[in-house]
Amino acid sequence: MEEREQQLPITTNSSTPRQTPTTGLNIVATSKVLAWLSNLTRFHAGYFRISLSLCGQALLWKTLSEPTTDAHALRPVIHTLPSAAFFFLWSLALFSLVALCLLYAVRCLFRFESIKAELSHHVGMNYLFAPWISWLLLLESTPFLHPKTASYLVLWWVFSVPIFVLDVKIYGQWFTKGRKLLSMAANPTSQISVIGNLVGARAAARMGWRESALCMFSLGMAHYLVLFVTLYQRFVGSNSLPAMLRPVFFLFFAAPGMASLAWDSISGTFDNASKMLFFLSLFLFASLVSRPALFRRSMRRFNVAWWAYSFPLTVLALAATEYAQEVKGFISDALMLVLSVLSALVTLALLVFTFLKTRDLLPHDDPFAPSSSMSTAFVMPTLQT
Amino acid sequence: MMDNKDSIGSAIQGAPEELPSIFRYIQSNEVPGFDTTPSPHGYPAASKGAEPTNFRTGSVFAMPAPNSPTHRIRVPYYSHSVSISMPPSPSLLAEKAQRASGINQPATNSANIKPNLVINSPVVNLQVPKQAKFHSQPMTTGTSRAKGTPDRKGLDSSGSQQRLPRNTRLKDHRYNSFKTWSGALERQISALRGKAPEPQEVGGSKRQPEPVPAPDRYFDALEGPELDTLRASEELVLPEDKLWPFLLRFPISSFGICLGVSSQAILWKTLARSPSMSFLHVSPVINLVLWCISLALTGIVAFIYSLKIIFYFEAVRREYYHPIRVNFFFAPWINCLFLTLGLPPVVAVNLHGALWYVLMAPILFLELKIYGQWMSGGQRRLSKVANPSNHLSIVGNFVGALLGASMGLKEGPIFFFAVGLAHYSVLFVTLYQRLPTNETLPKELHPVFFLFVAAPSVASMAWANISGEFGYGSRIAYFIALFLYFSLAVRINFFRGFRFSLAWWAYTFPMTSASIATVTYSAEVENFFTRSLSLALPGISTLTVIALLGSTIIHAFVLNDLFPNDISIAISNRRPKGTKRRGHMRNAAADSKDNEATRIRNASSDIKENGAAV
Repeated sequence: MEEREQQLPITTNSSTPRQTPTTGLNIVATSKVLAWLSNLTRFHAGYFRISLSLCGQALLWKTLSEPTTDAHALRPVIHTLPSAAFFFLWSLALFSLVALCLLYAVRCLFRFESIKAELSHHVGMNYLFAPWISWLLLLESTPFLHPKTASYLVLWWVFSVPIFVLDVKIYGQWFTKGRKLLSMAANPTSQISVIGNLVGARAAARMGWRESALCMFSLGMAHYLVLFVTLYQRFVGSNSLPAMLRPVFFLFFAAPGMASLAWDSISGTFDNASKMLFFLSLFLFASLVSRPALFRRSMRRFNVAWWAYSFPLTVLALAATEYAQEVKGFISDALMLVLSVLSALVTLALLVFTFLKTRDLLPHDDPFAPSSSMSTAFVMPTLQT
Repeated sequence: MMDNKDSIGSAIQGAPEELPSIFRYIQSNEVPGFDTTPSPHGYPAASKGAEPTNFRTGSVFAMPAPNSPTHRIRVPYYSHSVSISMPPSPSLLAEKAQRASGINQPATNSANIKPNLVINSPVVNLQVPKQAKFHSQPMTTGTSRAKGTPDRKGLDSSGSQQRLPRNTRLKDHRYNSFKTWSGALERQISALRGKAPEPQEVGGSKRQPEPVPAPDRYFDALEGPELDTLRASEELVLPEDKLWPFLLRFPISSFGICLGVSSQAILWKTLARSPSMSFLHVSPVINLVLWCISLALTGIVAFIYSLKIIFYFEAVRREYYHPIRVNFFFAPWINCLFLTLGLPPVVAVNLHGALWYVLMAPILFLELKIYGQWMSGGQRRLSKVANPSNHLSIVGNFVGALLGASMGLKEGPIFFFAVGLAHYSVLFVTLYQRLPTNETLPKELHPVFFLFVAAPSVASMAWANISGEFGYGSRIAYFIALFLYFSLAVRINFFRGFRFSLAWWAYTFPMTSASIATVTYSAEVENFFTRSLSLALPGISTLTVIALLGSTIIHAFVLNDLFPNDISIAISNRRPKGTKRRGHMRNAAADSKDNEATRIRNASSDIKENGAAV
């Protein structure tokens, strides 16, 4: 692919009869820039998993360091974490999100066809929610912005409207469009759309806007119900995920965890409904963790799909934190500590892996590029994601 | 070395390829060129004539005449070991084999038994079936298995023989694949008990148990609402016409009896204690009696089934992979919960919370396994295997929540309630959809449909206990249960024409739990309607249990078929070929020619293996 990209300028150049050395240099430089640019634009929406995880971590650290009504034995441990570490994490999350958004904007400019292909792909379309979810999480975890300020409100609107638009497009597709049956297109990544609604609901509830929060919550939960049943049924012939994408199975317990958090924000206390959603999330987590064979094939080589492990763990840890605040006891505190430590460790490990094996992480080719030779990519385009 | 020769000889004369599990026993002295020492009694053809019938599983072949040389005989019936010498060249051997196979066509077809079922024959087919692997059978002593009929006993030269009736020995061999470690455990135990060890073939311990059929096989081979009726085209790996050992016939669904009786105990406890039913003056003694009966029943059934686990573990594994029976593995633990719920006050009142955790742990582990299979298991996807018996795996959650809440715990019951509710909604939608890909739902109504009523009724009681009052959530669940009950009750005409099975006991507990929920509801909302319901429903459930009890007694003592052969666990691993019976004679000759080379190759390679071992 790279060679092909590079050849194009060269062939056009060869058509010109005579080249002066300076123009030749310019042409080589432009070709290099173009090649570099084409590399950049291969970042598809799946890379937003990175920003999702980091923003989630920032929110977790912020929640852990919030003062609680009563002092627990475990809280002082967490208080010892320097706030500088939180600032560093928050800035890292911001930086990664901004960088990825810019890259994706460049991609929009240069490879619009890829964007269209991504939107119609059963896995890719769900990751279009990911940037907005990351922004909302970052907004919630901002250390210097209080939820009741006007800028918070404006930013919430800015980030939630795209979620609404995507909702209308994708959920409407589920029950109106003939060819794209939900029973065939449903896959674990479809839960990201549900999570988007729930994150918006939680952010709204924090602002005090209960009705919009309730609206987004009911939207998310209604479609979550349908999705949950459909995914459990696993119709024969439904698009099964490639083995490389098995880490996204962790989304199964991210959705109820986020729902529990959202309901907790809406109703004010961690009541029975939130508890039930949290327990369901915990059960699904235990169920997945007790099946390591499921993930074996995807763990052979480092790829961006590994980042899918981090965000759901963070959400579960957040829910456990809220649960421990409500139900004071040794077990709930231990649960909160274990899950938080686990999510932090996993994120840290993924960061280390990313820095060590950056080459593996970079996109080698655009799986959504429309080209005649890449018709096979449409069959299994998610291999690289 | 003689063993190897035996192996080769038998391998060459092995069954045609199309019958993967074919086993052929060749009378060695029927095949020219093989040396045999004639048995002093000749070989009584008559006695052997009976043998092949035991091998045949449903074959319609006419029995070859007992005196014909063509019928297969177990070599062990000879009192002497047979020394078999190799013909000079493989081609000669093949020629002879062909002749022999041509002769033995009719008989070979019928033995659709897996090779490892016949471990005692020294003439053993080395042909490796596609799935089961087993090693060739070295002959320890020629007469190792020649514990023949009593009249042969005197001819035994090995000395450490035991007198066993022939059919018992047959049963041993054939059921060995279902025994734990293929019978090795039995040998250990009998060795421990001091009995003279039966000289067993060494190969037996190396033999691996037969692989369990994939879920698809269960659907292909069985039909019926409980997947317990064999389709006409299928065959079993165990003999159909003989009565199998009792342990093999004891299914896990027998725990349904305990469920039925212990839920009755809970019903009568509720009736005795409910304030709205005090006008009945129900005595608490009924609860005590029923509880003791159910305790005893549980003990007996659990004991027998644990014996089955110890001695016939393979059979238990096959039951676990059966799409319907797997749900009954929850039944023992639900039963323990019922016993705790129905505990008469005279026995114990305040139970420690730790007991609840102990009781729920097995349910949790089973759930993690089975729900995970729904979500991500390969073959056992819910759209394919969903059936009303899956309710048994869901209802355990609600019963546990009910018990925990009544014991005063808070978080644990909510945990199980949440898990049960989420998975119940999935199952409910799937069953209501009656997907075309779903093969297990009976087209006609069957008592298994009553399981639909179980989950919402228990859930309503559980939520009432968790939240402290029979509030809106409980009422919604209760009304759903009531609706399902009525929509089944008005269709009572369609519950006809089904063969009685022990699993029917399990279907009475939903009726009983609906009655208990009604009584609980009537304590909350007292009016004429609820009161009459709380009289009618318990009455119906009690009558049903009594009728079922009578039916069970009749089947147990009069008809003697309370425990029929459990064919669901004995289905073969591969579908038998359709043209098996008629076209076999035509095909077998051709196939045998084709497969000579492969068999010889296999045989020679195996001989190399065995040669190395020896």
